[in-house]
Amino acid sequence: MPSNTAAVEKTEGLRLGSLRIRPGKLLLYVILGLVAVLQILPLIWLVLFSLKDNQEVFNLAPFALPADPQWSNYARVWTDGNIGLYFFNSVIVTGTAVILTVLLASLVTFAITRMQWKLNKLVLGLFMVGLMIPVHSTLIPLFSFFNTIGLMDHHLSIILTYTAFNLPLTMMILLGFYYTLPRELEEAAIMDGCSIHRMFFRIILPITAPVVATTAIINMIYNWNEFVFVNTFISSDSLKTLTVGIQNFIGQYSTDWGAIGATLVISMLPILIAFLILSNKIVEGMTSGSVKG
Amino acid sequence: MKKKSFLSLMALSTAGLIALSACGADESEDAASADENNNGGDTNEAAEQEEVTLDFMHLWPQGSSPDHYRIVTEIIEEFEEMHPHVTVEMEVLENEQYKNKLQVVSSSNQLPDVGMTWPAGFLEPYVNGDLFAPLDDALEEDNMRDDFVAGTIEAYSVDDEAYALPLELNIAPVFYNQAIFDEYGVEVPETYDDLIEVIDTLSEGGMTPIALGNRDRWTGSLWYMYLADRIGGSEALNSAIDRSGSFTDERLVEAADRIQEMVDHDAFISGFNGLSDQEAKAEFMNGNAAMYLIGSWDLPNYTTNEEVPQEFRDSIDFFKFPEVDGGDGDIDSWVGGPGVGLFVAENSDVKDEAKAFVKHFTEEWGKQSVEDAGVIPGTQVNTDEVDLPDLFIDVLDELNNASDITLFADVQMSSGVAETHLNMIQSLFGEDVTPEEFAETHEEALQEDE
Amino acid sequence: MNQIMSDKRVIALYTLPALLLILTLIYVPIVLTGYYGLMDWDGIGGMEFIGLENYANLIGDTMFWRSAWHSLLLALFSVGSLALYLTVSLVLAGNIKGADMFRKIFLIPMLLSSVAIAQLWIRIYHPSNGVMNRFLTSIGIENPPMWLADTSLVLFAIFVPIIWQYAGFYIIIYYAALKNIPKELEEAAKIDGASPLQIAYKIKLPLISGIIKVTIVLAVIGSLKYFDLIYVMTDGGPNGASEVMASYMYKLAFRSNDFGYGSAVGFFLLVLILIVTYLIRKATASKDEVQY
Repeated sequence: MPSNTAAVEKTEGLRLGSLRIRPGKLLLYVILGLVAVLQILPLIWLVLFSLKDNQEVFNLAPFALPADPQWSNYARVWTDGNIGLYFFNSVIVTGTAVILTVLLASLVTFAITRMQWKLNKLVLGLFMVGLMIPVHSTLIPLFSFFNTIGLMDHHLSIILTYTAFNLPLTMMILLGFYYTLPRELEEAAIMDGCSIHRMFFRIILPITAPVVATTAIINMIYNWNEFVFVNTFISSDSLKTLTVGIQNFIGQYSTDWGAIGATLVISMLPILIAFLILSNKIVEGMTSGSVKG
Repeated sequence: MKKKSFLSLMALSTAGLIALSACGADESEDAASADENNNGGDTNEAAEQEEVTLDFMHLWPQGSSPDHYRIVTEIIEEFEEMHPHVTVEMEVLENEQYKNKLQVVSSSNQLPDVGMTWPAGFLEPYVNGDLFAPLDDALEEDNMRDDFVAGTIEAYSVDDEAYALPLELNIAPVFYNQAIFDEYGVEVPETYDDLIEVIDTLSEGGMTPIALGNRDRWTGSLWYMYLADRIGGSEALNSAIDRSGSFTDERLVEAADRIQEMVDHDAFISGFNGLSDQEAKAEFMNGNAAMYLIGSWDLPNYTTNEEVPQEFRDSIDFFKFPEVDGGDGDIDSWVGGPGVGLFVAENSDVKDEAKAFVKHFTEEWGKQSVEDAGVIPGTQVNTDEVDLPDLFIDVLDELNNASDITLFADVQMSSGVAETHLNMIQSLFGEDVTPEEFAETHEEALQEDE
Repeated sequence: MNQIMSDKRVIALYTLPALLLILTLIYVPIVLTGYYGLMDWDGIGGMEFIGLENYANLIGDTMFWRSAWHSLLLALFSVGSLALYLTVSLVLAGNIKGADMFRKIFLIPMLLSSVAIAQLWIRIYHPSNGVMNRFLTSIGIENPPMWLADTSLVLFAIFVPIIWQYAGFYIIIYYAALKNIPKELEEAAKIDGASPLQIAYKIKLPLISGIIKVTIVLAVIGSLKYFDLIYVMTDGGPNGASEVMASYMYKLAFRSNDFGYGSAVGFFLLVLILIVTYLIRKATASKDEVQY
């Protein structure tokens, strides 16, 4: 496109833009506000759901207030079973798996995108294939594997499984960011006599903090809510995670939905908090990282 | 700095290795000690019996089934007192997850010592794979076989050997809301034609005649099974399934035709193919539908369940599935059958203890389950001795007087054919197939499975 | 520089732990799935080698191809919905007041587990009590659709919650990518007199094209092996109208006791994804080279 026409368009755009800046912005805020309300409704629904009895769960409109809020649902969830212990297990498993996944994925992505070696594309491909297997195909082979090496009914079995299954996804997200890092970054670091490990942990990892936080959030949510692997690999009640709380209220012929709602609310609170904290990191990390542009 | 991070990473992976090998060692020790136990187990009376653990997997979580759970715990405590060297460790999973896990652990031959199974089609692959232990020896002791309702053990038998002992027995009555029937001036139907009339009266008056959650599919199957039974007698369907007959039998086609006739008369709640059984049940329990065909496991909702309003419970009664004019069926023939039963794993290290546990459990469960949990056990219940609501007693009497109980189709068939059957049920009700196509598809699946 | 950046020991140290993990926990199951696919096995007892019979049956299995078509449709819808997420992210990452708060609120549904999402949408789609049909009847529509019972609607009805479920996932990725663009670039463009739309289109989008490609691949792969909500909300029904490949595989392997055939479906699904992914990468590769 010839540069003069572009310039004309730009000025026009600017003028138009400044003219309707007010109604435009207003409309934008109205839309954003509406979407925000829509997105927060599920949370309100869940809280209402957790206060209903089984009759009301089915017969009241989703957002109708329960006639007599069933706080007992929470009491039941709290007293039945070892929710404290499950919570602790969830934190251990999710925390370890998230740290392990993000660290391993960062290391591999760094090696693949920033270092020079012949097989890097092939290794990348190997990881990507890991995204493609349906979870239920892996249950029998993995059970038999963990059983053979004696890791059955042990937290390591689920931690390692979560890590392996989330590595490819985490790497793919990291990949796009690593490609955009300027080469000068490493050159400068090496000029300064920085070792490669120091460069990775001191420069690369901090500068990718926003995307690391992003992948950490995604990993955290996946691991926290996962139950198929937990049920398959863990038998001892003392090792199970919060998702068994939901199981506890599913009966042979009927299900206690209110209590399940209460379990869902209780188990969502910790990740909500973790999410809000990590979410700030996406922005914070960037402002500190953008010093080097 | 660099060395440190490198070292800590190494430390992490070595720690993993240590934990890993440590666990491996544990496991083999366990196996070794278990073996010793097994040797000791043969001389049962040995004074110093070694401590053993018995793994027991069931599907009655404390949260959803508090009564079941309590009885189970009590029985286990009792058993442990009687057998001080045994510790019972239980694992509880909900239905769906339970089934999955059972299959996954079977593939590595790691079944729990004792667990729950369903009869017939579900149990067969496990028996064929030599995973369940035959229990006939246990049944012979104290003539235990006689304690069970006739025919229930057979449902868990392959080649005349029993592989599980039943804990549940159900029949499916048509529950109806007397208040609604009164309001619309209709009476309990005795024939299929009466039923259609009732349906027409109700639906013209704006009342949903029947609550049906056909997303779960076995719910619609109940309706079909009954019609097939009332038209062709129990023989028509059974012979089609055991291959002495054919599914293209015109009586089975006619039953399918009647289903569509009912659909055309707006018998079932709108959107039934997308509703779960629980959603449909909620409509019935809220007085939005007049009838509901379900297993007798639902009886507590209409009798003892305090969470359900008394007024509603008082207005619920049941009737036997109506006869079809000109049909071969008998009104005292029911669709139903045993539900879960207990198995002992063939490769269990503590088989003797496991068998003793299954025996003890089944006996005790039989004594307590009706009164305390509203579950009809597989063992005989003396209705004079138990204190139960009338509706419950009526169902128990019907069960005792039943001329025949046809096992739920999806349990009776092998699991592959059952999938076809259940899918076809949805299509039949949704009028996506003709009755003829419905029968032919069944016939093909059954032939393929032979 | 080059010497340091191609140190074999460092490469090995950085990649081997992760590689070892996926080789044992993902590749072994993949290989075994292919192997089980050659067996007649109920997943419980003994197995019998039957060669390629399962794979041959697969070719003529209309239910499989129907579910594959449904999965493919889901993939198309998912990729299409990326444009919407991208727009939302562009707005959120722009310099508007309160963007931070809006972003956090927008992402909240992402925290809900599939169990909760399924229950929510079952209630939205309920034929008589549901939010949707109450609304439709209130504006005078007499026979509102039976969303999950209607074989011609159910597939699209179930796509909506699936796509909604993943909104947060993609928005958070796009957002992080957009925030990663140096502010200087945007400011320079502003000084040149570019409108926000022009900045978005001419500067931001090209800069994050790498991550857009990644999300396209993720959306396609994720859709082709999608399982969760379909399993809970419709169970693939009525009569397979919302069956997808993964739910079909699950039913064969765990309900019909046809683990051998289920494994063949699982393996075939993997091969199919591999091919589709290869095609996508091929189609977007030329630009890749120019970009970096």
